[in-house]
Order: sequence, then structure tokens, then C-alpha cells
Amino acid sequence: MIVLVAATVAALVRSARSPFAAPITEPQKVPFLGGGAPTTHAWQRYHVRYYPMTLLFIAFEMEMMFMYPWAVVFVEEGGKAMMEMGMFLAILSVGILYGWREGVFRWQ
Amino acid sequence: MTQMLAILILLLFLTAGIAAAAMLDRAIPALVAGRPMKSSLSAPFAVAAAMAIAPKSDTEHPDRVGWVLAPILYFTLAAVGLSVVPLSPRLVAAPSEVGIVLWGACEALTVVAVFLHGWSANAPLPLMGAYRYVAIGLPAMLLSMFVLIGAALPAQSLGLVEIVESQRDVWNVVRQPAGLVLFLMLGLSVSLRGPFDYADPYDLAGGTQAEVSGAARLSWRLARLAMLVSVSAMTATVFLGGYLGPVLPGFVWLALKSALVLVALVAAGNWFARMPPARMMSFLWLALLPLSFLMLAAVGVELLLWG
Amino acid sequence: MAVRLLEKSAPSAPVSVFAAVGAGSRGRVERLFYDPRLTRVLSVRQANVLLVAGSLRDEDHDDLRRLHDQMPPPRATVWWGSDPIFGFDDLTTIAVEDDPVAAIVAAHRALIMVERASEPDLLPNEPANPWRGEGPHGQGGKGMMGGTPYGRPMAMTNDDLRDGLALDAYTAPFGPFLPMLPPGLKLSLTLQGDVVQKAEVLRPPLAQHDDGPTRALRLRRVARLLRILGLDAHADRLQDASRASECGEEVDFAKLRRLVRWSGALAAIPPGLGVVDGRDVRSRMRRWLDELGVQRPDPADPASSEQPARLVDLLEGLEWTEAILVINSFDDKALLAMAPVEKEDGNAEKGEGEHHHHDHSSRDHHSAGHAMNHGGGGSA
Repeated sequence: MIVLVAATVAALVRSARSPFAAPITEPQKVPFLGGGAPTTHAWQRYHVRYYPMTLLFIAFEMEMMFMYPWAVVFVEEGGKAMMEMGMFLAILSVGILYGWREGVFRWQ
Repeated sequence: MTQMLAILILLLFLTAGIAAAAMLDRAIPALVAGRPMKSSLSAPFAVAAAMAIAPKSDTEHPDRVGWVLAPILYFTLAAVGLSVVPLSPRLVAAPSEVGIVLWGACEALTVVAVFLHGWSANAPLPLMGAYRYVAIGLPAMLLSMFVLIGAALPAQSLGLVEIVESQRDVWNVVRQPAGLVLFLMLGLSVSLRGPFDYADPYDLAGGTQAEVSGAARLSWRLARLAMLVSVSAMTATVFLGGYLGPVLPGFVWLALKSALVLVALVAAGNWFARMPPARMMSFLWLALLPLSFLMLAAVGVELLLWG
Repeated sequence: MAVRLLEKSAPSAPVSVFAAVGAGSRGRVERLFYDPRLTRVLSVRQANVLLVAGSLRDEDHDDLRRLHDQMPPPRATVWWGSDPIFGFDDLTTIAVEDDPVAAIVAAHRALIMVERASEPDLLPNEPANPWRGEGPHGQGGKGMMGGTPYGRPMAMTNDDLRDGLALDAYTAPFGPFLPMLPPGLKLSLTLQGDVVQKAEVLRPPLAQHDDGPTRALRLRRVARLLRILGLDAHADRLQDASRASECGEEVDFAKLRRLVRWSGALAAIPPGLGVVDGRDVRSRMRRWLDELGVQRPDPADPASSEQPARLVDLLEGLEWTEAILVINSFDDKALLAMAPVEKEDGNAEKGEGEHHHHDHSSRDHHSAGHAMNHGGGGSA
């Protein structure tokens, strides 16, 4: 219901018609480069500079999945849970250090 | 019945919040710049009206579906994120036992919405904004999840009502003060502002916004403000005790606290400098993420000793 | 009803102006936006009025026409101390010494009230490249990439400077009217992702003859760097201070310096960026900040010595934001000395048909040759 209402509101705003709307001509469509015109498409095999970082990110994302249930039972389990997650985070921290040494966080 | 009421209040909250955010967005920069602030009240509406009547632009062979969907998705995510925020123990628009997981999903999909907005134009400047936002949006999201887990520990639940109830004795901001700061950074990141605005920055001539005009731009700006309101309410709930407070009804307290966070976010967005993205990425991973680990460990130890 | 309401409140909004800045007008234009009736937009797509300030070179005329056509109608152009170029009619011209704000606001109002017709396109309504190729999506055809399916050809591969990956190298002309570049500077940048692989100066920055007090000048230079660092409000404050100091008013420089320091602007700039003569961007900015209140000419810049550093060499290998910071960290005179034109412009301009396809296939050839020479020193 909320999704529906919000999406409808946003869609209505997005599709509001301007009283000045007119067919858009070709020269109006040239991508904005401050005067120049590009020679090629902007879409390309884009060189993503943070590619290794995203791989590391996946490791942490997976870790989050274990953390949700862990958070719920933490107080019941007490020290044991603390130790477990402490070890897990410690290993991941070593991962960050290793990644840093390997230049994962550089814009390469 | 109470759910319908909650939804109505929430829509009102969102609308009022967007208006307030738009005004703050003029008032606080004017304050920093030392310029007169008196037009801050009326100007946002006139600007919105001017945007609404301007025609939309187009580029050569854009991804039209993606371009239309991006602001709609962004706005919807903001509303869904807001819907799990409890207005009182029983007044929740979307009652959920896993509120923070749902919020986390909204954060993650925000990256998709912003990327889509920049990608769709098929123009170089928006494209660069899109790609670089992913580099910052992902680690910033990671930060917030660790912080939220830290808030879920004392509540022994992932639901937001329980998280608020666990703050009856002491607010989470006392348990993890650095957590609040980290979460505010996430707030800047998901609403594309100030030091975390890597999608729509000046050096890319507006980034993902560089090729949009008229109602398309208006809807994007509204979605950004909606996300700002949403993240403010979430911060107030998780760190400042949400609806808890004496005398006044719960949602008034929530509104007051959210407004406070909103002011803090807009001020921070106007106050701090933005690093080039490469520097920011290392900063996030090497300084802030370890800090969030430590924060989590501190909350854990505190609970074991005194909990 | 709703539309009526919108139309009623829209004219009270500040007019969105895109400024195309010519010679000797940069400071003038920056001062202009002190007026609350105007806002400066970053992209011409969001503008209601195109302001052309100062004189342009003949080479810039085509770019101005293209810029004009990118502005969505209803649109108007205001010429401020500038000679209208061929093709424009319904002219609004303002003398250099007059204030153009009233004329800009009036032009905008007339457009909204439909009292003034929107300016028509100046360029012919033709696609940038004729559609060529076979099949429903133009995917078929000769050559590696098939036809040219969607109007423009695809970028070709090249080896990356940083990691040697062979991905697409995107070459495009940037400027001469991009807001974050000095007016008139037109660069041909080859990008892989957002890292500059190769930079060429197509046109040098236009001389600004900023001979006001150096105090005011330095404030404006710092303000430009602040904008790149996302500090618009701070930049506005410095801009206003610059205006005040030109009018001979008292300015609290120590306070401004504190304001900038507390924003973390200096710390945000990576160290070792754009080093010329032992000074990087950060130390150049720090020097401007330290000398904010000091009224004396700029020290002789190493760039103006007999062997000036070349801007294009500094930019190579930098990420986009870093490159923009480097470009804005020099004063106008130093930048002019560092940015001699090395390549005839014009090639990149004719984005049309036959010529294009030709260009495309020759580049195809080039990159194939390059792949064979792999390991022979990279793409630079």
C-alpha cells in the first residue's frame, strides 16, 4: 500500500506535463559537454576503478547475514557469542589489512 | 485501523518533512554564506513551481525506462524506509519484526536508483556520477549496518519498536556516540549531500542531474529530500529514543527529534568539504569501518558486563 | 487549477541562468550572481536564460550555437558586453557597464507569459550520425562493431595507464563553457572510467584581464576551489567578500580563513597533487588562504618561467575531480602559460556522417595495432 501510494505520487510528479512541452529536436539532444559534441556514445566498457573493493564488499555483505540472527541471540548466549563474532570480525579485519596492502582501496 | 491512521500520519510527516528540508536547504547555506535568509520560506515553492512548468529534456537514445523509473524508485524507497518507523508502540505503518533489515534493503537499493539515474542519460558526466557513487555508496551502507546491529544488540530484536523500547533507560546515542556520527554520514550518502555527494557534484556539472530538467528534475530533487527526511526519522528512532518522551504524544517527540537530526544533516552537508572519491573510498574502509567494528565490540562488552 | 497555481508562483522564483563567459568577464559574471533574483545553473539543460558575457573567439561560435540548442524552450539569450553572433535574432543586448539583471528577469517573465517567442534552434534538425547498419537494432553491418546503431559510434578499446586493462577509451571535447573549467578552456580528454588517459588543449583559456585588487582576486580563486570541494555556501561567502573588498568595504579576512580551515577543505585535497616546482594543489591553496588579506601582487609563478610545466602532462593519469582541482589551482596568467594549443581543433567538431565513420574505422585500426605492441610502454 505504501509502495503503491509513494510510487504513484512520484510517477505523477515525474510525468507532469509542461505547458511549454514541444517535440524535442536533434540538436537539443546532444549531451551537455559545455559546448563540445561527443564523437562516440557515452555507454562503453567503463573502467570501474574500484572493482576489487566490490569483491571485498561482498564478503562483508555475507557477513551481515550472519550478524542479524546473531544480534537477536547475543544477550542470551553472552560471552560465547561475543567470542565468536569477535573472531569473525578479527579475521575480516585482517582481510581489510591484507586488501589494503594489496592496494584494493586504491582507485586503480 | 491503527495502521491506516499510521499511514496517514506518515504521509503527512513525509510531506511536511520535505517542505521543511527544502526550506532548510536554503536557510542554512544562506546562514553560512552570510546572505539574507528571509526568502527561505517561500522560495522553495516558487522554485519547485518553476521546475514543474519547465519542459523535460532528452538526450540521444537514452534508456527511457530507467530514466523514468530512477526517481520513482528512489522516492518509493524513502517512503518504505520511513514506513517501518514506529510512531508509538502500536502505531506503525508497516509493523515488522525485522525493521532494520528492511531499512538496510532500502539503503542498498538506493545505490541502484542513483546508478540508474546517471546511467540512463547516455551522457558522460552523469555516467561518471553514477559509477563513482557506487564506490562510496556501498562501503557507507556497510558502516550503517554495523551501527544498526550495535543498536539491535541491547534490544535482542531486529524490530524498531523493540529497539526504541530498549532505550527507555538510556538512549543509544550514549551507548555508541560514534555510531550516531557514522549513521549521519550514511544519511548524507543516501541523500546525496555535501561531503558524500558523489553522484550530483559541482565538478561533474550536476552529475546525474546534468541532463535532466523540468518535472524530471523536480521528481529527483523531491526524492532526495524524501530520503533525507526518512533517514532523519530513522536516526531519531534508533539513536534518540524515537517516540519516547514525557507529556507530549509519541509522534510529536519523534517529529521534534527528527527535525533536530534534519537540521544537523543539512548543516553538516553545508559545512564539510568533499574529498575526491579515491581518497574517500580509502578513508571509509581504513578509518571508518574499523571504527564501526570497535563501536560494535564496545556495545557488546558493555552488555556483557552490565546488561 | 494546479497548473494555474504553478504558473502563478513560478515567475517569483529566481531565474535560472547559464553563463557562457567570454574574455575579461569572469569576475563580472561571478559578481552578478550575488543578486537573489538569479541563480546560476551548472548545466544549460536547467537554464531559462543563456547569458553570453564578454567577447568570444570565432572558433567558439559553433560551440555557443550547440549550447544554445541544448537549452530546453522557452529560452532566451541575453548578450552582456558581447557582440551577438550570426544566427541569433530577437536580440537583447546590454552594455558592459550596465547591470543585466533587470533585462534577464524581464526576458524570462516575457517567456513565461508567452509575450516573447522562444528562440528557435540554430542548428539543423538532423541526427548526429545517419543511422547505418542492418537489422531492427542496427546491429548488423561491416566492421568490428557492426554498423553505427544509435546515431554515434562506440568508443574503442585501449590500454589503461594505471593497470593496463584494455577497456574503452572515451574521447570527447570538454568546454569551452563548462562551469568548472576556466572560461574558454577547451580540452580534449581521453578517459577510461573517470581517469584521464590523455589530455590535449584544443583552445586555451580566455584572458580575463582581472586587474582588480589582488585581495579580491585571491578570494575568488579560493572560492572556485571551494565549489569543487562541495562548499558552495563557503564559496558564496568568499565571493561576497571579494565584491565587498572591491567596493572598498572592510572585510574580516581572519574570519574567512577560519571558516575555510574548519571546513576541512585543505585536508580533503590529496597531498602531492599537481606538483609544479615543489608545490602541490594543497600548498597552492594554502598560500592563497594565507595571503588572503595581503595586498601585493602574486609572486612570480614558476609556471611563467622559461620552461613552464605543461597542463596536459599534469592531468594525465589523474582522476576527474583531481584533474579539475589541478586546473583550478593556478592563477589565470600561469594557466595561460601552461596551456599552449597543440592540436588543431575542428576534427573533433564535425560530428557528422561520412567523416565520422571514417574516423571510427581508422581508430579501430589504430587500436588493433596497439594491441600488438602490447608491453611497449603503455598508451601514453
